[in-house]
Amino acid sequence: MSVPLSQMWTVARYVVTQKLRGTKRYPLVLMLEPLFRCNLACAGCGKIQYPGHILRKHLTVAQCLRAVDECGAPLVSIPGGEPLMYPEIGPLVRELVARKKYVYLCTNAILLKEKLEANLFTPSKYLTFSVHMDGLREEHDEAVCRDGVYDQAVEGIREALHRGFRVTTNTTLFDGADAPRVRQFFDAMMDLGVEGMMVSPGYSYSKAPDQEHFLRRRRAHDLFSAMLSNPKKRWRFNQSPLFLQFLMGKRDFECTPWGNPTYNVFGWQRPCYLLQEGYAETFQELIETTRWERYGRRSGNDKCRDCMVHCGYEATAVDHTFSSWRGMRDTVVATVSGKL
Amino acid sequence: MSGGDASLEGWQPRVGEDASLAEVVEQAFDYRGDVTVVRTDGSELVGYLFNRDRDVAEPFVQMFDHAGGGPHHIRYADIRTIRFTGKDTAAGNSYAAWLTRKAATKAADSGSRA
Repeated sequence: MSVPLSQMWTVARYVVTQKLRGTKRYPLVLMLEPLFRCNLACAGCGKIQYPGHILRKHLTVAQCLRAVDECGAPLVSIPGGEPLMYPEIGPLVRELVARKKYVYLCTNAILLKEKLEANLFTPSKYLTFSVHMDGLREEHDEAVCRDGVYDQAVEGIREALHRGFRVTTNTTLFDGADAPRVRQFFDAMMDLGVEGMMVSPGYSYSKAPDQEHFLRRRRAHDLFSAMLSNPKKRWRFNQSPLFLQFLMGKRDFECTPWGNPTYNVFGWQRPCYLLQEGYAETFQELIETTRWERYGRRSGNDKCRDCMVHCGYEATAVDHTFSSWRGMRDTVVATVSGKL
Repeated sequence: MSGGDASLEGWQPRVGEDASLAEVVEQAFDYRGDVTVVRTDGSELVGYLFNRDRDVAEPFVQMFDHAGGGPHHIRYADIRTIRFTGKDTAAGNSYAAWLTRKAATKAADSGSRA
C-alpha cells in the first residue's frame, strides 16, 4: 500500500479518538463538491445532468471551509464536476493545506498541466492529485466519451510528478472490464510513477443513465479476484487492503454511508455521495436526522443491494482495522506482505 | 429520470386526479430539469427543485430559480401543482447512445476512407 506514514498516523489517531469518545457515526472523508460543471460529459455520470443555471453555481471558499470545519474529517476529497474549473480552487486548496487536511483533488487532468504551469498549487504532503483514469487509452477514452483524454491525462500526470506533487489514479471499473487489460493498466500507471492507485466498481444509481452497464456484485467479485489475486509487487494501492479483499469477495462488509459525507451547492447530501434522497442544512442535521437504517445492503434497499463503491465501503474497512486486534493484524499483514 | 425511462418533460399533472401532491413532488425532486411550481395563490416559480422533506411538521420543497436566486422554501400546503416545463437534461444521454454514436462515427469514417 502506498499511503504515506504521516497520513496513516493522522487517520489512525483520528479513528482511535472517535472510538474512545464512543462516537457511533463519524466521517472519514469529506466529499466536497464546489461545483457540478465539468469539461467532460461522461455517459455514466449523473453529476452533470442539471439545468444551466445549476451548473453555473459554485460554492464560495468560505462555504467550503465552513463545511470542512463542521465535518471535521481528516481527509477532504474534492470531486465535482471538474474541480480545476472551480475559479477559487487555488485559494481553497491553500486553505485546506494550511488546516493540515489531506486533500485529494479528483480531476480528469485535462486542465492539470495548464493550472500547474500557472503555479496555482504548491507541492505538499497534504495535496494529492487523484487523476480519473478508467483504464488504458481505448477503455478510458470510451468511458469518458471523448478521444484523446487519456493522453491529456498522462501529460498532466507527468507534469505534476515532475513538479514534485503527489499523484494517484482513481479508476472506476464498468461491466465488461477485462482483467488482463486492467492488469496492464496497473503496470502502465506504475511505469508513469504515480504514488498509488484507487479502484472501485461502478454503481447503478437510479439517476445514472446506463445502469445496466454497471457491475453487479457477483460479477464484481469475479473481476476483482481475477485482477488482484496475484498482485505484482510493484503495484501500489492508495486504499485499505481490506477494502480490496472485500471487492474480491474475501470479506463481507456493510456500507458506512456517513463515512464519506457529501457537501455541495444543495447542502449536505443524504445519505451518501451517490444517492440523492434529500439535503440537510448542517452536518449535525445530516448525521442526526438521516434515516440511516434505510440504507446499506442489509436494509433491503434496492438502491444499495449491489453497491460496492469505495465511498461506502472504504470507511467500513478502515473502521474494521481499528475495531479489533484481528482487524489490525489483517491490515498489517496485507500491507506488509502485499498479498490480498 | 434515468436514461431508459420515459421523460416527464412537458407533464402538467392535475393534483388529486393524475397523482397526489406528494407523488408529484417526488417526481419533481427526481426530475433533472426545471419545473414550474404553481402556488395556491396563483403565483408561479420556475426553477430547479432540489430538495423536499415531508417528514417534518410542515412539509416543504426547496428550489433555485432559473435566474440563479434562492434557495426558495415553499410549503407543500402552498403548492397547487407542479408543471415539468424545463428540458430533461438526463433524457437521451445514455451510455448505450454514446456507444451507438461512436460506432456510427467509426463506420462513417471507414466508409469515407474506402
